[in-house]
This record gives sequence, C-alpha cells and structure tokens, in this order.
Amino acid sequence: MLSLKMKLEVLGHPGFTEVVISDRKEFANTVLWLEDQKIRLYSIEDRCKLRNVDNPEVWKEGYLKYCADLNMPPLETRQEQLSWILSYAVRLDFLDDPDQFASINSKQVPPQSNGKQTQQKVQAIFEGNINTQEKAFVDAVRLLASKLNVPHHPNHLLQLEAIARVVHERLSPAAKDRKPVLGKPFPFDKGNDVVSSNDPALDLPMRILRLLQIQSLRELQTHINETIVAVQNITANPKTDTKLGKVGF
Amino acid sequence: MVVRPYNDELKYLEKVSDHCWRIKKGFQPNMNVEGCFYVNSRLERLMLEELKNSCRPGAVGGFLPGVKQIANVAALPGIVGRSIGLPDIHSGYGFAIGNMAAFDMNDPLSVVSPGGVGFDINCGVRLLRTNLYEKDVQPVKEQLAQSLFDHIPVGVGSKGIIPMNARDLEEALEMGMDWSLREGYVWAEDKEHCEEYGRMLNADPAKVSMRAKKGGLPQLGTLGAGNHYAEIQVVDEIYDKWSASKMGIEEKGQVVVMIHSGSRGFGHQVATDALVQMEKAMKRDKIETNDRQLACARINSVEGQDYLKAMAAAANFAWVNRSSMTFLTRQAFAKMFNTTPDDLDMHVIYDVSHNIAKVENHMVDGKERKLLVHRKGSTRAFPPHHPLIPVDYQLTGQPVLVGGTMGTCSYVLTGTEQGMQETFGSTCHGAGRALSRAKSRRNLDYKDVLDKLDQLGIAIRVASPKLVMEEAPESYKDVTDVVDTCHAAGISKKCIKMRPIAVIKG
Repeated sequence: MLSLKMKLEVLGHPGFTEVVISDRKEFANTVLWLEDQKIRLYSIEDRCKLRNVDNPEVWKEGYLKYCADLNMPPLETRQEQLSWILSYAVRLDFLDDPDQFASINSKQVPPQSNGKQTQQKVQAIFEGNINTQEKAFVDAVRLLASKLNVPHHPNHLLQLEAIARVVHERLSPAAKDRKPVLGKPFPFDKGNDVVSSNDPALDLPMRILRLLQIQSLRELQTHINETIVAVQNITANPKTDTKLGKVGF
Repeated sequence: MVVRPYNDELKYLEKVSDHCWRIKKGFQPNMNVEGCFYVNSRLERLMLEELKNSCRPGAVGGFLPGVKQIANVAALPGIVGRSIGLPDIHSGYGFAIGNMAAFDMNDPLSVVSPGGVGFDINCGVRLLRTNLYEKDVQPVKEQLAQSLFDHIPVGVGSKGIIPMNARDLEEALEMGMDWSLREGYVWAEDKEHCEEYGRMLNADPAKVSMRAKKGGLPQLGTLGAGNHYAEIQVVDEIYDKWSASKMGIEEKGQVVVMIHSGSRGFGHQVATDALVQMEKAMKRDKIETNDRQLACARINSVEGQDYLKAMAAAANFAWVNRSSMTFLTRQAFAKMFNTTPDDLDMHVIYDVSHNIAKVENHMVDGKERKLLVHRKGSTRAFPPHHPLIPVDYQLTGQPVLVGGTMGTCSYVLTGTEQGMQETFGSTCHGAGRALSRAKSRRNLDYKDVLDKLDQLGIAIRVASPKLVMEEAPESYKDVTDVVDTCHAAGISKKCIKMRPIAVIKG
C-alpha cells in the first residue's frame, strides 16, 4: 500500500493519502485520473466508458479493454493492476525528461532480490528435479499463501520467501516450543528513537525494519551466549582464597 | 596563561541557551576550535566563581580553573568539533575531569593525551539488578554490608581473594572480560551488557612496564580507595518506565548493586610511564601546548601507539577487576539469602567506562569521520539504534550509569540522538568535586559524616574512616543538579533514580 501511495504522491495525485483501493469507485476514479493526467492513451472521446464510473457494467468493459490496450500482463488483484498502471505512468513521466533524473541511478541502490536465491534453494532441496515456473508449483505457492494469510506478490518466488519466514517464525517445532513472551506489549511507534516524525510514510516501514533487524541481532547474540556457555563448561574453574585477602587502610 | 581581569575574561564567554555556554577563541592562546560547557544556574555560579578566584592577583598554585582547562584542550592539535565540558566538570591534571574532546584520526598531527583519559584508566560503574525488594534487604542490611566487605577487599594496599599468578595477569590484560568468562567468574550475558564487550582488542601487555604489572597483580578484585565504592541501592524513582523495564527494573523499591571502581594502581602506573615518554616525544615533534600537564604525542607516533596499547591493557584490567567484584557480590548475596545468583536474577544491567579514549565514527560537518574520542570523567551515551550498544538497548538508547556521592542518590540515564550530535555521544559521569580533598579534610569531621549516614539509615563499612570526609556529599556538587542539567540540555535522558542503603568504601 505504501508504495502505491508513494507513486501517487510523486505523480502529484491530489488526494494520495486518502485513496482506498478496495473501494471500486475510488479505484475507478484513480485509474481515470491517471489516464486523464498522465497516460493519455485514448483521445478524450474514447475515455467515456472509463469516465462512466457510476455504472459498474459499462465501466468494467471499458476498464478491461483499457488494460488490454495498455498491454498490461495478466495480473490478479486490483492492487497489482493499479501498481502496474502507476509504474507505467511514472515511466512515461520519467521519459518526458530523463536528464532530470540522470544523477539518480542504480549505483546508489542495492540490487533487489528477484527470487533467484529462493529458486536456487528450492532446486537444492529437490535436487534440481522441479520446475519452479510450472503452473502446479505456482498454484501450490499461491494456495499456501492464502492459507497462511501471506499478502499477494506478483513474483511467486518472493512470496515463497515470505511463507518460509512465517513458517520458520511461527510454525516450526522450535517456534512452537518457544516460551510465550510475557509482559506488557509496548507500542512500537512510541519510544526514545527518533525516526522521521514529519514523514509517516518513512517512519512506519523504518520502525518495522529496525525491529526485524533487532530480532535477528538478538538471535545472533543468543547463539554467541550459548557458545560461550558451552566453552565455559570445559574451561571454567573459579577459585577464591580468603587467606589472600587483605583490607587496606 | 593569559592573565586578565575577571570582567575581561567574561567577554570570551557567552551563554547560548539556558544550559549551555560558549567559550570563544582567544580565551586561551592558539585555540583551534571553540569550547563549551553545560551548566544550570547553580553549577554556573560554581564555575564562574572558580574562574573569578583564579583572576585575583597573586592567585597561584593548584589546578587551573575548569573553563581555562577546556580552552587549553581546544588548543591541542587535531581537535575537531568543540572541547566540551559536562555539568560535573572540575579541575584535573591537564584536562578537567568532565571534559571530552575528539581528535581526527586522519590528521597526521592529531594527538593522544594521557591527561585526557586520567590516571584511573577505565574507571567506571557497573550496575547489577536483583529481584529482591527493600523489605527483603532492610532487616539484614548490616550483615549483607559486612558480607560484601569481607568478600571485596577495600582500601589502599588491599589485596584480592582471587588467586592469580603473573601468567594469569598477562592473559587477563590481553583478554579483558573474556578472561573472566573463560575462568568462569562471570556470565555470558555480562559481556553482552558491557561497554566494548569488556575487552579492548588492541591491548598489548608487552607495552606495560614490569612495575605496573607487579603492583597490579595482587590488586585485582579489590575495590580501591578514594571515591570508589560498592553500594546496595534501592530504586527510588522511575522516570521512564518503559526503558527501565527493558533493564529489568520494574518497580520502586527494587534492590540493585552499584560497583564503582577502576584499574587501581595498575592504570596509574601506565599513565605515569606514558607521561614520561610523551614529554620526550613532544620535544622531538615540536608539539606546543598551553599547559605542561597536557603532555601528548601524535596518535601515529610510537609513543602514541604504545600508550593506546597499554591504556587498552589497563582498561582490560579494570573490566576484569569489576567482573571479579561482580562474582564476589553474587557470592555474598547468594550466601546471605541462601539461594543462587541465578535465582536472584543478578544480571549486569550495564557497565560504563568514564575514563577512557576510544576510536569511534562520528558525523562532523555532515561527513562521517574516524575520531579518537577522549572521555575523562565523562560517560559515553549513545542513542537508540547505534550499532555499538547491546541489542537489548537498541530501542531505549545506551544506559548511562551516574554514581552519586556517598549517601546521596545515583541515576541511570539513557543516550539520545541530540547528545550524539552535540557532544559526540557523551554525558556526565557523577557529582563532580566541589571542594578539594585537602579542603574537605580541613572543613569536615569524619565522625559527623559517619553519624549523618547513620541517621539516613545507611549501613557503612569503610577501611579508612579518617578519610571519609574527602568523599562526604558536602565535598561534591549535587548530583541531581548535574543530571537535571544533562536531561534539560537533551544530551541524555533521565530513566531511574536510586538511593543507597549500604555502602562499602576504601
């Protein structure tokens, strides 16, 4: 959701903070705004079906044709579709004056995961005897995701990564045996740490990422402590000799 | 030193906010950067009075006033940012105690100064929590104080009860708290909750003189004299409930143990040896300072490197020392309450160093720079999410342990982002002396001091009662003033206040 709002914001959508994608009408209005202001694929007269927001039947027909005319790949959810249209609009906006963005290039952005690693892991488990792009595999991942309430992602391999994390954290035997966390929960948006108080779109994800980082650090530190204790079992031999003691003056 | 009438001196000082003063260039000769100090109205009066007294004609001898010392430090080669005085500042050898200064590691002219670390290298405070409450401890506090006194030898010339030979010492100097862990004196979690994880990796025992090692060996596991103490304290007030609970402090009345100690005679000898070497290096490299006590050497010179390696060994000595006392404290409590330290939940909350120089990365003028940060009588106070603080305190900021004086309260603060920007992540370390030791001895009677503690219901065990007036609360600034100033200035945040119920002293 955040990335959608961010894209709307950069495109200058007037009400980007309030858009509710699940509402069909708002969705339709957003698509129309994008076509009117940014994409301009059709002539003004050809946009009348899209403009017919109040009549769902007519609008849907127009919308499906519009998607086809945009050459949108088959996407399942409205969120993905809008995300794609937004990206397309951002691209057009960019191409209007690419030089303006020349200084912002991929060198400054770390490479993003595209699911290759997950693919390699899956291949390793099945010793190369599986095709991760096969429909049966994709369907199985989607089914698992819906059972575990993992949000949809166009790349099923990334979704599988998220599923693996949920299983590891919540469903693995180790996780099930873990003692429940006691004490009062603390709202994570309150604390001594300043993130970015004037930009909620940055504040929330930063806090979440930091908490995940702290969680994995805690895991690492616990492993270190366990290792030290294991070594201590062999080396430790604390001694005291009160005869040595002397109180000064 | 420039001698000017007091009113002329004041022209170089400017109050920039309620709690911060600026020291302009020219206050002392050759200042490379400006100075500043943090005070509230009461501490400000003390500070300016000290300066006024030194301006009187014929005032000679003793240390320079704190403000002058801050300015002299600002004249050292390679200093960046500002020379900073914390609210508990008072005159010391070369650097004032409560002065922090950072030097650029990439500037070949930058210096390291033993005076900027102090003689008691890695003097620091450690806080242990327990799951006991005041009602559990009050009835047995006299016995408990005695038991601690029996376990932790105190005073000048005291000797520890942990058997060690010369080889053990060499290893301890190199390994720091890892030695205590290997030998089984402390818990794995103790290391996690210790600044620098209880070990400076650049320590080299070969750079330490035989004399220091000989003197240091029997002193490991002893508290020492002077302002050092072990105190059983009770949580008196919680200002930041959430941060406190992250430290395992849930309610008022909970009992904690504070240990304030350092590297004993060992660190003192390391510093003394280094000063001799540095005087030679200064002549050779033609380093000029405003004050002879500011002996220093270039960081990259042999003398500079040797000092840093020996200082690290002394720092390791101090951590082993505090770890040994942690072990002894746990034993004393376990015996008294007939249980195990584990069941008493006697975890180390944190361990801070307030006399040390460390290499740290800081933002200076918007750029990240590698600095050698001297903190003398100043505690590191890193903000939340700093990579060098334990994972358990990532959300709260680093705990800062501020020991009060005998019979007064102590505080736990947390580090803030503002402190990181203004003071290189540094804050106060304690009350800070107001009267010199000699003056306290002249003005106070030790019997009165002990009686007063008795009236307050504080059990006390002391090795040399005739020296307690040096450490009487009257000889110090009010720790509450100091802590409130840090809190108001935003360079650290108040979290917990404790008051003592039993004191063990040298």
